[in-house]
Amino acid sequence: MDSAYRFTCPLANGVHARPASELEHVARRFSADVRVANERTGQVANAKSVLGIVGLDIRHGDPCRIATNGRDAAWALESLKVFIEQKLPHLDDAPALVEVRPGEVRLPPVLRQANATVTPGTVVAGGIGMGRAFVMVGFTVPGSIPLTGVEDIEAEREKVEEGVGRLLSHYDARLDAHDEGEEADVLRAHLSLARDPEFSQAIVHAIRDGGCTAAGAVAEAESQFSAMLAATGSALLQERALDIRDVCRALLREIYGTALPPDEITLASDAVCVADTLTPGQFLALDRRWLKGLVLAHGGTTSHTVILARSSGIPTVVGVAGLDAAALDGQDVVVDADLGVVVTAVTDAARRYYDMERRRLEQRRARTHRFIARPATTEDGHRIEVAANVGSAGDVTQAVAGGAEGVGLFRTEMLFLARKDAPSEDEQFEQYRRAVVNAGGRPVIVRTLDVGGDKPLPYLALPKEDNPFLGYRAVRIYPEFEGLFRTQVRALIRASAFGRLQVMIPMISCMDEVTWVRGIIADEQSRLSGAGLEFNREMPVGAMIEVPSAAYMLGPLSEALDFFSIGTNDLLQYFLAADRANPRLTTLANPLEPSFLRLLYRIVSEVHRCGRWVGLCGEMGGQAQYLPILVGLGLDEISLASPEIASTKALLSGLSAAGCRRLLERAMQASTARDVAHLLDERDHWTPMPLTEPELVRLDADCHTKEEAIKAAVDLLYAAGRTDRPREVEDAVWHREATYSTGFGHALAIPHCKTDAVVASSMAVVKLRSGVDWGSTDDQPVRTLVLLAVREADQATTHLRVLASLARRFMHEDFRNHVEAEQDPAALCRLLHENAESD
Amino acid sequence: MRIVAVTACPTGIAHTYMAAEQIEKTAKKLGHTIKVETQGAMGIENELSQSDVDAADVALIAADIALERPERFDRIRKVEVPVQLVIRSPEAVFGRL
Repeated sequence: MDSAYRFTCPLANGVHARPASELEHVARRFSADVRVANERTGQVANAKSVLGIVGLDIRHGDPCRIATNGRDAAWALESLKVFIEQKLPHLDDAPALVEVRPGEVRLPPVLRQANATVTPGTVVAGGIGMGRAFVMVGFTVPGSIPLTGVEDIEAEREKVEEGVGRLLSHYDARLDAHDEGEEADVLRAHLSLARDPEFSQAIVHAIRDGGCTAAGAVAEAESQFSAMLAATGSALLQERALDIRDVCRALLREIYGTALPPDEITLASDAVCVADTLTPGQFLALDRRWLKGLVLAHGGTTSHTVILARSSGIPTVVGVAGLDAAALDGQDVVVDADLGVVVTAVTDAARRYYDMERRRLEQRRARTHRFIARPATTEDGHRIEVAANVGSAGDVTQAVAGGAEGVGLFRTEMLFLARKDAPSEDEQFEQYRRAVVNAGGRPVIVRTLDVGGDKPLPYLALPKEDNPFLGYRAVRIYPEFEGLFRTQVRALIRASAFGRLQVMIPMISCMDEVTWVRGIIADEQSRLSGAGLEFNREMPVGAMIEVPSAAYMLGPLSEALDFFSIGTNDLLQYFLAADRANPRLTTLANPLEPSFLRLLYRIVSEVHRCGRWVGLCGEMGGQAQYLPILVGLGLDEISLASPEIASTKALLSGLSAAGCRRLLERAMQASTARDVAHLLDERDHWTPMPLTEPELVRLDADCHTKEEAIKAAVDLLYAAGRTDRPREVEDAVWHREATYSTGFGHALAIPHCKTDAVVASSMAVVKLRSGVDWGSTDDQPVRTLVLLAVREADQATTHLRVLASLARRFMHEDFRNHVEAEQDPAALCRLLHENAESD
Repeated sequence: MRIVAVTACPTGIAHTYMAAEQIEKTAKKLGHTIKVETQGAMGIENELSQSDVDAADVALIAADIALERPERFDRIRKVEVPVQLVIRSPEAVFGRL
């Protein structure tokens, strides 16, 4: 008898490939027949077929019905129900996009005058890449292989079956080689397509009833399923057609071998791939050492090809209309995924623009890199440890290479999620051991399992909750799953013998939880000790401060614990009772809310009064604009994503800890988050920067135009960390230049602007190898430019006074001659600065 | 001659002061008495009082933007020029005073 279960599709993007393949995985485990129906359309499909499920075009809110029939039908239905209630709602993760729509592109002045062909597109992976274009064409079956006219139908069918078998083991072997990351996800998706019963049936049907050869039948199946996906009207599903094409191609290769043209394209120098569309398989076959960019005439933003390009860091622009691909073959092409354009017919001027861009980015990177090996301190010598948030032992190596002074948060959930059962003690021990070894003597704070709430685990069968964030999660579930927790604790204790491992308990809200956890740890320590194992008996144990109640129990908590780390994400949403995922509450869930700053201050000063250590590992730690507040709080550590570590250290070096403390005092007295944001904008807590410094001087610059010269000067500001928005500064300079030229004769120009796009009022000097036309009052070319960028807020400050005196000095010939003759950057800075000040 | 002058440019960062310097330098060279007010990003500096203006023979206004407190110059002969011109050809400008 049929058993059935009804549900409503909870996914905003509908049941696309990923939820469909997860559903198929569950259904496949049972021998019962499993059917899923979309009651909106009345269509029914086999739940053991991804293609079948996908073809139902189940959209958000569609009423659906799942029915099982056969030996283990009841059990199957129960499992599917659990899957649909608990896991399905979390599978709706359309990839995050960096998307720039065509038509919004405003070209920078240098590129505007470069006369190259610039075609806008949609950016799906950022960066700038340049190389020789090679055009990839779609795959077609060569004419030598017939599509119809089969004599021995059975033999043809067998050929296909054997091909599918080989293809499946081929995918399995590749999955064994790398089982993590985007590439593995793509392989898994292809594997489930290749073993899809609907897919095989369509091929067999075409051979038996259509008289097709294997090649003809595969082509037939491809067009049939592509048409089906296109008919769903969902962009997400239409892009899966590329995956079907890939699987078909791979299958043909298994069947026909070398009778097909080769897949591989050999690249030997920087190359940009230009194609109408590109399948994920075609992408993976390219040598990514040489691949500098990807241009797709079609191709959406969510295809596997795009996801792979993004994770490989290949600048990619899609939806580029009107490119004549054939004419481009062999030509130089720039994929500028920062501007969102493809540049063809690359002129010398365009080439020079991209050389300048490369120089700008490299110099900024080099500046940031200098901070990797330095200890994190403020300008006035206040030390604050900058640590990394990681999810695996491998991440630790990367973090240390990026300048991390420790690991402030090792999220162990990653070891537990996306698998059928909990990891064993040995498996965990190995991860934790490798993490502390990779940290090379730096502290590693490992947070014990934080699941439940928004992070369910299939093997824990936690009940569904109406309000999961206020529910049964983290430390609260440990007593029920004591065995699971003890296993993790044992693995951690054992790993403590290999480095500076510290254990941190999530979601502590009262003393009883700490007492219970400490009891378990002590218990496991004495057992392991009894078994003669070596470990660190002094292994520090701490807690996350993320439940506001904990902030009012820090005295007793400090007696039982060694350290604390503030989890700002949850603390903020619990404290202000504002769901941070609710877009309507974003103005409320603001970490700059003065009440929240007071809470943070209370926590840090209370913990320090008790003689304990306190760090911060929430998202707030990774956002540069909050850094002055965090320094002002007097935290011992902040922990953030590893790519941000060096730049955070660089920012710290410009902060005054005393200034940050004053800032925090004022911020806590403010009445609104907006007022606090204004205080941050005042920038009083930053160490004053000199108007100019040798880093802001460039001699012998090879610029051909005024546009290039201005860009060269603005790029100096960017490289020296004085602006993160160089295009805004450039625009402001040109805006001023439009009233009348700043070339005032004598081969000198003083382009200038007022803009808050610079972090401090700055002066950059560029001396040119040969003069450029500036529209100067004396019609003579300019050889030296002194660019001034003054902050709007900088009223009546010493900076303006210096600039005014400097402007006056330029009216004197002897001074101009000095500036002209001086070739040493440091001496030039002194000349411009001191001479002006002494005025 | 007793001359009063005012300089003011669009951003008030550079040309205001370049022009002021040029006017002072040229006046000195040509033997005139001079007082120059600047209206720049730091506000009005070396401000001309009404009696400064009243005691002068001519007012040289080198401004690319609307002046602050223009009423001071209602009763005096004015020569108005672009800021750029003062910077480029100060002696020619003085020739028109």
